[in-house]
Amino acid sequence: MSTPIIWILLPFLAAGLSLFLLRYRDMLKWGGVSFSLVLVFSALILPVNETVKFLFWEVKLSEQLLIFGRRFILSGADRPIVILLFSLWLFWLLIMDPKLVPTQFIPLSLAGICLILTAYSVEPIFYGALFFAFLALIYVVLLSPPGKEPTPGVLRFLIFQILGMLFILFAAWLASWIDLNSGNQVMLARSLLILALGFSFLLSIFPFISWISMVSERNHPFLLGFIFNTYFLGVFLFGTRFILEGGWIGQDLNIQVALQIAGVIMLSFGGLMAIFSKHLGRLMGAVIIAEIGRSLLAISLFQAGFPIYFGMVILQSISLGLWSISLTLLKQGIHDLDFQSAVGAARLWPVITSGLLMGYFAMAGVPLLGGFPIYWALGSGLSFYPLWINSVFVLSTLGLVFGGLRLLAVLTKNAGEESILILGEPFYRYLILGLNVLLVLIGFLPQLIFSVTRTISDMLLGS
Amino acid sequence: MSDFLQTLLVGLLFICGSGILIVPSRRLMTGLLALQYVGVFLLVSISWPVEIAVVKLVAGWMAAAVLFLTYQNLPGSNTVDRIDVNLPGTFFKGFAALLIGISVYSLGPTAMRWFLGATHQQVLGGVWLLGLGLLQLLLIRDSLRIIIGLLTVISGFEILYATLEASVLMTGLLAILNIGFAFLGSYLLMASNLEESS
Repeated sequence: MSTPIIWILLPFLAAGLSLFLLRYRDMLKWGGVSFSLVLVFSALILPVNETVKFLFWEVKLSEQLLIFGRRFILSGADRPIVILLFSLWLFWLLIMDPKLVPTQFIPLSLAGICLILTAYSVEPIFYGALFFAFLALIYVVLLSPPGKEPTPGVLRFLIFQILGMLFILFAAWLASWIDLNSGNQVMLARSLLILALGFSFLLSIFPFISWISMVSERNHPFLLGFIFNTYFLGVFLFGTRFILEGGWIGQDLNIQVALQIAGVIMLSFGGLMAIFSKHLGRLMGAVIIAEIGRSLLAISLFQAGFPIYFGMVILQSISLGLWSISLTLLKQGIHDLDFQSAVGAARLWPVITSGLLMGYFAMAGVPLLGGFPIYWALGSGLSFYPLWINSVFVLSTLGLVFGGLRLLAVLTKNAGEESILILGEPFYRYLILGLNVLLVLIGFLPQLIFSVTRTISDMLLGS
Repeated sequence: MSDFLQTLLVGLLFICGSGILIVPSRRLMTGLLALQYVGVFLLVSISWPVEIAVVKLVAGWMAAAVLFLTYQNLPGSNTVDRIDVNLPGTFFKGFAALLIGISVYSLGPTAMRWFLGATHQQVLGGVWLLGLGLLQLLLIRDSLRIIIGLLTVISGFEILYATLEASVLMTGLLAILNIGFAFLGSYLLMASNLEESS
């Protein structure tokens, strides 16, 4: 028995089997919740590479699985990643309303989590790019539920991810060539350029950004929230491991400047888009683009930035979950997600719109909410770097806040309508209220988040 | 394999890649895709043992078969086999394919410096397929054609990558990816006709 079998193959098998149970929505949801709890606890308590006595047998849980000469390794140091990914799945299952979200979300999201873990665990690491191609296939199916035509944004997402995979595989081959001809600066520059292009496709860095706003406008907000949350986390984990294990840092390269330039471009693009967006979906796209930029900036701080990055992941998951479930519920009461249709929604559905506003403002970085201390820490880390990075960081945050204020104005405007339509079940309205409180609590007690994220990054960097 | 035969194969690949871009009939397009995989298999077999290279052919043909069977069984498929029949558009696509062909041919010697273990024909065939596949992805919005464009791009990549690495796992994963694309294409074609789940 090995950890990849328990945390990758078994869940993948479970995802495949549950495709046959799509009719039983509630059973699938609560079965998924129980299974994710089992997975999280197994990652917490199972000893790796140690022999333990189980009933009459002595069992040793190995950390690696060998397939066709390639290794899949999930060591004890990778536990935080396993726990984080399965906890995310648990969170999204808990907030999912089976009546409003396509049921195939449950098996496909689990398969997606397994593929992220596979991409993270494979050695040599560049094989991970191939698993991201499989992940893209699964997420395309998830974003094109039965009865709906695939949207152009989804197809563009697929194209970009496949091109990214090809560039990364090719760059990895060129990198192995550099080992043989160390000091060959031309080859190094070529491989870096191709690698940067590959990751730009995967992370949707400008100019490969268009699919985010396209899918945000046309696709299911809950599915998108999950995909944005897990896909970019997966790519960041893979990219970090790729850079650390591939020896790219030891080549006298200044990756930091490249990361910061890309981060600043994304953040400013997100900020600008938030100012001009007149669509709730596109506003979500804007904040996601800004989050990619902030994540790049956090990772550019290397050791000091990893706790901040993981703090952002936790905050993003809660805020995005809150935003997505609120938007999914709100969609039942308005024609489309244009600002025009959402005028006065806060007067009709105050709890649901409070979820939208709190989720958005937390990710924008408004003081007293969960995002503020995390972005403050990021800004403090960036203060040692050039002024233009800090200026763009502040201005883009202001852009995001401005977008939120416009949303607030639209939602609270008196449209002269009275409605008796009650949206969503009470459980989901209480859930929204609970998540609102949680975001405020994180804002007041950020040390709780930072102590967890410091442990995560210490374990990962120590490995 | 003789140089002459390799050159013929590369010509076949260019014709298939351009044909896929131009022909309006879905059935003909899939036929050309299946033929394209014969060329891919033969070019890959220059670098790899035939018994491993044949995986490309089998996976490619399976992908083509899945796509063909899907629109064969789609409601109204006998009447709506042709998509976007438009003479100026077809002429433009043909002209663009020709430009790709000429530019790749002229850049061939430069590309050879990147793939030291490859023959001239392998580089030319691989880069042609990459270029024509990318052209398809740039010009067309139809989901089926996008899937076939991606299959073409990956075929080109597979020819080039076979000259660099011969890993069984990589071969297997790329084969599964090809078949996965075909199933995805088939799902996307049928998705709008399926019963809504929520």
